[in-house]
Amino acid sequence: MNFKERFVTAINHKEADRVPIMGLIVDTATSCKVLGKQPANILDLLKEEGPKDDLLAMLNTPEVWNQTYIDIVSDNLEAAAKLGYDANWAIYTLLQLHEDKSTKVGFVWHDPYGRVWEISEDNNGNSIINYAGGLCGTKEKWRAKMEENKALFEVLPDYAREFHCALQQRFGDRIYPVGYAAPGVFENSWQPMGFAEFTSLLYQDADFAREIIAFHTEHYLRHMDAVLDAGAEVVLGGDDLGQKTGPMLRPAMIEEFFGESYRKVAARVHERGAKLIWHSCGNINALLELFVDWGFDGIITMEPTAQMDVAQVRQQVGHNLALIGNLDVSHLLVKGTREEVEQAVEQAIAGAAEGGGFVLSAAHSHSLIDPQRLQWMVEAGKKYGKYPLVR
Amino acid sequence: MAHDLKEKLKEALLDLNNDATLDYVQQFLAADEMTAKQAVDSIAEALEIVGRRFQEGDWFLGELVYAGTIAKEAMDVLTPALTADDARANCGTVVVGTIEGDMHDLGKSIFINYARSAGFDVIDLGVDVPAETFLEAVNEHEPLAVGMCCLLTPAAGGVGRVVELITERDLRARTKIIIGGAAMTQAFADEIGADAYAPDAVTGTDIIRGWVG
Ligand code: B12
Repeated sequence: MNFKERFVTAINHKEADRVPIMGLIVDTATSCKVLGKQPANILDLLKEEGPKDDLLAMLNTPEVWNQTYIDIVSDNLEAAAKLGYDANWAIYTLLQLHEDKSTKVGFVWHDPYGRVWEISEDNNGNSIINYAGGLCGTKEKWRAKMEENKALFEVLPDYAREFHCALQQRFGDRIYPVGYAAPGVFENSWQPMGFAEFTSLLYQDADFAREIIAFHTEHYLRHMDAVLDAGAEVVLGGDDLGQKTGPMLRPAMIEEFFGESYRKVAARVHERGAKLIWHSCGNINALLELFVDWGFDGIITMEPTAQMDVAQVRQQVGHNLALIGNLDVSHLLVKGTREEVEQAVEQAIAGAAEGGGFVLSAAHSHSLIDPQRLQWMVEAGKKYGKYPLVR
Repeated sequence: MAHDLKEKLKEALLDLNNDATLDYVQQFLAADEMTAKQAVDSIAEALEIVGRRFQEGDWFLGELVYAGTIAKEAMDVLTPALTADDARANCGTVVVGTIEGDMHDLGKSIFINYARSAGFDVIDLGVDVPAETFLEAVNEHEPLAVGMCCLLTPAAGGVGRVVELITERDLRARTKIIIGGAAMTQAFADEIGADAYAPDAVTGTDIIRGWVG
């Protein structure tokens, strides 16, 4: 059985030869360590003396961006394959560099949805980007931004399609790059405005909130189509719907505003004969029934630091959802002992892998995750994950 | 009448009714026998109830945030009407920020909103704040407490560094340190020697209230 058959079999709730193992992004710092590569830092270019017009023009040419971006994600996939994973996330993004004197670096990235991403450096000297707020704090600003980027929204699905096809071609014989349409409709709705601002809209101007959600749903369906065009049997979608102690919004409110949108996305994926796995950080125990109802086929992450427990989730949803997770990234995969890692893997498998429907994974990625611990996770996954499971 | 209006204001906020809340605030300002301070107290009482509902899992983040937004709007109207005595009677200054390397800002903003509504003067340092900037702010504002928000394990070292810097300068008797956010725990607070860890903004506000004089 190869990596792809193993992964797809598990998602279909059948027992493969063993529990598959999947990467959740695999951060650039971790990838560099695995591949023995030097950190890559765009800040070096930006800090050089002299005018930046040429650099900006070059990086903001979609062809240059797309090529550079494919190479970055290829490193993540390369590292994931080297770690022995069966699959890894593959997310397409389009960013454009803008001068912004108010930031430390003097430049920020903008995405087409109206987010601002600041540039900084991780603990290993890689440049990283972080969502730092939005450009669409008011109705007028939101409408103007969507109008301004109209042409971009037209071509984005094409870029995404090319990206996913290129990765399938590069990695199709070594690891399964699972296409992920991101960001999701919830995040695209609130992040370009701010959470407080968007929440106020839900109460004070529900019609406009619905206009935003409908706009992003339409675009998201096209994005998802592009991912599916690359020939995927399983696709990823996602939105952080949870925080440390529970859902970001009252579940009934999520259903009221976003239920229809999520149902449409799941239906589209199913029409095309594929399965939809949903990523959300935080505590989402109170949303599990909704996920099933919307038609999601699985969930990925189940953050232990937010009291998510795979065995408990399995008990709650049975085999209505495939479960992908959930090794802790706050301690375990940073400085846990080998025994601790093994024990966590053994426990997760014992709690959720009977009858298939389980894929082993870290609960997120960040720059301090240690490749050695990931290696231990893979080894333990192979040891405890052989089917039939030993009880 | 005073009691009635105080209850109505509280209820309007607990119903998450923005218009009614602001309406009652105006009624407070128009009535001779009532003071802006009484309205502020009503709002603080309502927010305490909101916080408790959130802690107990009856209310969700969106409700906590929206109640904070309404309260802030009401406070913006009331603050200019507070007497000099009321304004001076704040509980003390608190310096708050999200540590360097971390851009998560929702938790920090909620804590700030609740601390302000409880009568603290809060200096907001923003997100991605270097340890040295926390120290500078402590020197400048001589706060009762420093609050640090950290959700990312790779950024947690910075939180420890702030504790070190403040301790090295012998400022711990004057300024206490409280931490919160997904990457923080009581064990971590003990390890780095912070005074307190708060699992949520309401507990955090209660803790710093306990540190007042
Ligand atoms: C929303 C979110 C995001 C948003 C952030 C939006 C924003 N502007 O804030 C986005 C999508 C951009 C994001 C990005 C990332 N995230 Co994030 N994110 C979350 C998520 C799901 C919720 C955080 C949140 O906003 N909660 C809502 C607020 C209100 O809750 P809160 O912060 O806990 O605050 C409450 C209390 O903690 C307390 N509190 C908070 N601060 C303080 C301070 C004081 C003084 C006090 C008294 C109290 C207090 O009061 C608040 C209200 O009660 C968490 C999951 C989680 N468990 O928290 C992951 C999480 C924090 N993210 C994580 C990661 C890894 C990332 C990324 C590195 C992902 C990546 N590879 O790119 C980036 C990093 C960006 C950066 N450098 O900051 C991990 C961190 C893991 C770790 N141990 O390091 C988490 C835990 C998810 C996981 N699966 O493990 N994220």
